[in-house]
Amino acid sequence: MKKLKVLWLSALSCNGNTHAFFNYPNLEYFLENFEFIYHPVIDSEYSLEDIVSKEIQCDILLVEGSVSKEFTRADVPILKIIKKYAKKVRKIVSVGTCASYGGIFKNGAYKDVTGLFFDEEKEIDILQEFRYKAINISGCPVHPDILVNTLFAIKQELKLKLDNLLRPKEYYAYSIHNGCTRNEYFEYKVDNHKFGELEGCMFYEHGCQAPFTHGSCNKILWNEVNSKTRAGLPCMGCTEPSFPRENLFSTKKNMGIPQELPLGVNKRTYLTLAGITKAFTIERLQKKLIDD
Amino acid sequence: MIKLIEKIEGEATLDFNFKDEKIEFVDIKFNSTRGIENILKGKNALDALVINPRVCGICGHAHLIATVKALESCYDDLKISKKAEIIRELTLNFELIHNHFKWFYLTLFPLFGFKQEVLKASYASQIMGKAIATFGGQYPHTSYAIVGGVVCEVTSMDIVKINSYIDETIKFFERNVIDVDVEKFILCDNVEMALKSKGDLAKILQIIYEKEWVELGKSYDRFIVFGKNSYFKSGKSHKTRISKNLPYEYVKEEQNKSSFAKNVSFKDKYYEVGPLSRAMLKRIPLIKDAHRRYGDSILSRILARVCEIAQLLNHSKSLLKELDLSEASYIEPQIDISKVSASGVGAVEAARGSLIHKVSLEEGIIKNYEIITPTQWNLAGGSRENQGISQKAMVGLKDEKIAELVFKTFDVCSVCTTH
Ligand code: SF4
Ligand code: SF4
Repeated sequence: MKKLKVLWLSALSCNGNTHAFFNYPNLEYFLENFEFIYHPVIDSEYSLEDIVSKEIQCDILLVEGSVSKEFTRADVPILKIIKKYAKKVRKIVSVGTCASYGGIFKNGAYKDVTGLFFDEEKEIDILQEFRYKAINISGCPVHPDILVNTLFAIKQELKLKLDNLLRPKEYYAYSIHNGCTRNEYFEYKVDNHKFGELEGCMFYEHGCQAPFTHGSCNKILWNEVNSKTRAGLPCMGCTEPSFPRENLFSTKKNMGIPQELPLGVNKRTYLTLAGITKAFTIERLQKKLIDD
Repeated sequence: MIKLIEKIEGEATLDFNFKDEKIEFVDIKFNSTRGIENILKGKNALDALVINPRVCGICGHAHLIATVKALESCYDDLKISKKAEIIRELTLNFELIHNHFKWFYLTLFPLFGFKQEVLKASYASQIMGKAIATFGGQYPHTSYAIVGGVVCEVTSMDIVKINSYIDETIKFFERNVIDVDVEKFILCDNVEMALKSKGDLAKILQIIYEKEWVELGKSYDRFIVFGKNSYFKSGKSHKTRISKNLPYEYVKEEQNKSSFAKNVSFKDKYYEVGPLSRAMLKRIPLIKDAHRRYGDSILSRILARVCEIAQLLNHSKSLLKELDLSEASYIEPQIDISKVSASGVGAVEAARGSLIHKVSLEEGIIKNYEIITPTQWNLAGGSRENQGISQKAMVGLKDEKIAELVFKTFDVCSVCTTH
């Protein structure tokens, strides 16, 4: 089996995507299909110094972390390294929200921090000529299934449908809300969520961004077992260009109505709907799920 | 002679100065920083719970727990249930174990001429990730610990599940790393016994003996531990003198001329942090034996890190038994954080050693935030007259490759250091 050669570069990052990738359950199979010419943690044939000084053959470029003109790796500007390999590869994959849209390190130590092809949701042109090869797999960190399956899709030369922020629709056409175990509470506007409980939806008071965040956290689950919202933590919207927003644990409201509504829902419809569902009093949803 | 050291969660450069063919000084440089402390300024206090795990992809959970403790210490009398405390301690333990496995199979193994064991590293660390996610929703980068407790409610089925994750990890550890029962290993009080097995740990120890590296990598023999919980003891020790009193005022962070990483000292002295320090303060029999014979050498350091996997797995099992599910996971603070103007400190033991967060709030807004990471303690780039812990440990060596080995036994984390 011919292995595809992958270069994993980390720019301004916390290495969170690197470690999320380690949670891919079938790493053995992955490594039978792909070979890292360089990876931030896994041993590779080439050193970082080789990568920046030579031009090593490679099929896919993965970049983790946001970029800035000032940021260097092994004394070479990161953008120069990216451009060198961007020419050669079949696809450029921005791994995580930092590489996709700039992410958390904007307003940090470097100037002009952006993603590779976007500054938040605004398109930028530092790598314009390579845009046709770009795929953004956002998330802070990215889910390992999304990363690995995107790489397999590239290997199998599948034509991926991307949304306008260059994310594969197979994963990002869903909203995070889809699959949350608290969905019934959302539907019937039961907002009595308290932290530390199995019950209640966090959309109304605690800042859950899942209904307007694109991604598959509640569908493919994290570490194969859970998701933030299932556990009782609001979704922080980490797959979106707006991540991180502010005041993350509370819901911004205008006259009692959440400012951001579920994807595609307009305010009038929402109000009508809310009026109807609030009329239900569903005893099951008013009490504890598990009690004596 | 300048050497780029990579795959330490980022990079560092070591500039070796030789005299008479021996290393007399090593200048340690970290070449970037991300400015998390600045990012936090002006933000709502609770947002720190989301931002801070992103200091580091491999030990972000320790940053979460340090954050929540720092914020909670801004309150005069905040109540936390025993249950929430146990859950937090468990997830932190799981992250430590996860880190130690990765260090052992990804970093340490190749330094002794073996192939990196990616699959072993990921197998064990994944199970620990699942255990954290069962409580926290996901790993890495959950923010499930909040001021007042934890967001999750656990059912007895979760406990069953987590218990089985711990057992599975114990089985993996016994079969691969130590080749004896965990309980036996914990009681073991002499290094020779650990040497005799067929496990991966013994393979490394044997090489250390064959190559006569048993005294390699000695530093000042000064240890410090700030994070205290039901298992770790805080305090400092020099040789075998122990003192318990560690006022934070004596912890000093200093700008380093040549590196982005700041140095940290306690009463102007550099201290080693991490598993060896923790074992010294806990007086773990096996590590005491190693230390008695070989001091604070790489042998003691490696053994302490691996030994801690056994201790934490074992301790986590008993912690899990103590969980009382009828308690609340979260107790809402009496005062909303938006009304709090105060300063606080939180310290925890992260995989690589003590991690300290300091915060000051004005009506719930972060005015100042300071993070002091374990690698800053161990890798402080001191002067020739007052060298840092790892600098001192490399002095006198003839070969940079061996110096790199010594350096990496501290389990360097560049991203943390350059937060
Ligand atoms: S908690 Fe969030 S994800 Fe879950 S149902 Fe409510 S809005 Fe949806
Ligand atoms: S639930 Fe939301 S914040 Fe959490 S990982 Fe998914 S998209 Fe990110």
